[in-house]
Amino acid sequence: MRYFQAKVAENRVLGGGYFVLRLAGCASLSAAKPGQFVMIRGAWGRDPLLPRAFSLLSVAPAAGTADVLAKTVGRGTALLERSLPGAEVDVLGPLGTSFPTPDASCIDLLVAGGVGLPPLYMQGELAAAQKLAGRSELVYGGRGAPDLVLLREMENMGLALHLTTEDGSVGMKGLVTRALEARLDTHRGKRVRVMGCGPNAMLWAVARLAREREVPCFISLEEQMACGIGVCLGCAIPARSRPYRYVCSNGPVFDAADVLDVNPTSSAGPPPPSECPA
Amino acid sequence: MSAPLDPASVKLAIETGGVAFRSPVLTASGTFGYGREFEGLTDLRALGGLVTKGISPAPRFGNATPRICETAAGMLNSIGLENVGVEGFERDKLPYLRQCGTRVLVNFFGATFDEYIACGAGLDRLDGVDALEMNVSCPNIKAGGIEFGTDPRVLADLVRACRAVVKKPLWIKLTPNTSDIVALARACADGGADGLSIINTITGMAIDARTRRPKIATIFGGLSGPAIKPIALRMVYQVHRAGVPLPISGIGGIQDATDAIEFFLAGATTVQVGTQSFVDPDASGHIVRDLQARLAADGISDVRELVGALRV
Repeated sequence: MRYFQAKVAENRVLGGGYFVLRLAGCASLSAAKPGQFVMIRGAWGRDPLLPRAFSLLSVAPAAGTADVLAKTVGRGTALLERSLPGAEVDVLGPLGTSFPTPDASCIDLLVAGGVGLPPLYMQGELAAAQKLAGRSELVYGGRGAPDLVLLREMENMGLALHLTTEDGSVGMKGLVTRALEARLDTHRGKRVRVMGCGPNAMLWAVARLAREREVPCFISLEEQMACGIGVCLGCAIPARSRPYRYVCSNGPVFDAADVLDVNPTSSAGPPPPSECPA
Repeated sequence: MSAPLDPASVKLAIETGGVAFRSPVLTASGTFGYGREFEGLTDLRALGGLVTKGISPAPRFGNATPRICETAAGMLNSIGLENVGVEGFERDKLPYLRQCGTRVLVNFFGATFDEYIACGAGLDRLDGVDALEMNVSCPNIKAGGIEFGTDPRVLADLVRACRAVVKKPLWIKLTPNTSDIVALARACADGGADGLSIINTITGMAIDARTRRPKIATIFGGLSGPAIKPIALRMVYQVHRAGVPLPISGIGGIQDATDAIEFFLAGATTVQVGTQSFVDPDASGHIVRDLQARLAADGISDVRELVGALRV
């Protein structure tokens, strides 16, 4: 993990608020694995203050570039969306845990929701590089057609794509878990692994489904974080193995079995708040 | 302005609050973990010292989530003083800190007088700890949840009680959630403290208008970052001007060497870099280097010349 300055090499607008930033000067991210993330901050002065966490979409070791996919949701991402080639950004990374490596003896169902695509895209790239793309399938859902991006690139990797949209504009109408259920049915009896990234509610649904089918499941979680290195303790999530785990330093990729049963909406619930603020 | 100097000749070292520091730039409690987290990201040996995460007698798991959110030029946090406890600190964190090459100040707190005393005594016996910093921004459960650090009489009693068991230098980190910071500072002097850290976070809240919910689980949290710097400067200056006979470590929104210099001018002998370490893990290193260069350029041979040198 290193803290360094990079430059925006290209800002590719994908529509729907989505964009891909290609950052030059990222040789130190060359060994990053799918699921790992970076903290990024532009030359924003005093406000907005904190860097933003992004899962890596792709790294190109030969060119020394790294790509992140973002969607404009707030001030930081809006500033990044407007950034032009040559703009300087501070980068800290690669950070966190990664998904299990592709395995010829497994079928990997990569489940992405909206802007949760990057680590699964990168996992698909890794599978393709290992000639295992045929053992991976991408189950990818969004609200509507604009939320499904980079489809051609993933087809070119050789991944089978199973698309869903809530409005039915592309692929199967409904939530991504519906398509996942169908894929689990298809592969019943085989060695299957599920890997997911997307909104937390989607991930808990994915994890529940995987547990019902007794299939290993790894999910990449998102939480507010200030530092990315286990210091601010902002990104705590309730876990089975300990009262809290940290998305930045114990994750973002977790074995769903550790974090499923004590998520905030479950009956077990998180530990009660203690009395001492700040 | 005097003639420029060779940066290497500028003296940043300062002995203050019972501790000899290589430089007056420290890192603030809760923003620098237990030091090791920054290994490879900043040179700890360039720092004056680091202040650890607040330690309580027993480990604490902290508050429900969400625990943080960004605000205008700052952030709110309500971590809940999660920490490894005195035993865990000695066993798992101190061995690294003993050889990290900088001064180690251990922040501590309790939920009762007895807990404060037990924690202070437990940390006081540890080799490798240079000083203790007492966090008095905790609610006093027995007094209906009012912070220990907001009532001068309670605070003086608490400082006195801890002073009796702590032989190492004892600094008190004051809460800004008060109408009279000078009275609290005097209470610490009366209780026998060796130094003051001013300020802790300011209580605030943030609301999500769309969901109509508070942005952090505990509703209220501590505001930090550049947004609070004017308040911190004001409080450091008030305590300094009042002649409270304790050195001040200035904290609040320090992002660069200029911010640090402002705190020295207001009366601080050291500064603590807090939230900025989240923005730039080498922030304290940048500040030390830039401070040296700034002083050299301005012909100031010793950082102590700046302390309290505000022109009014």
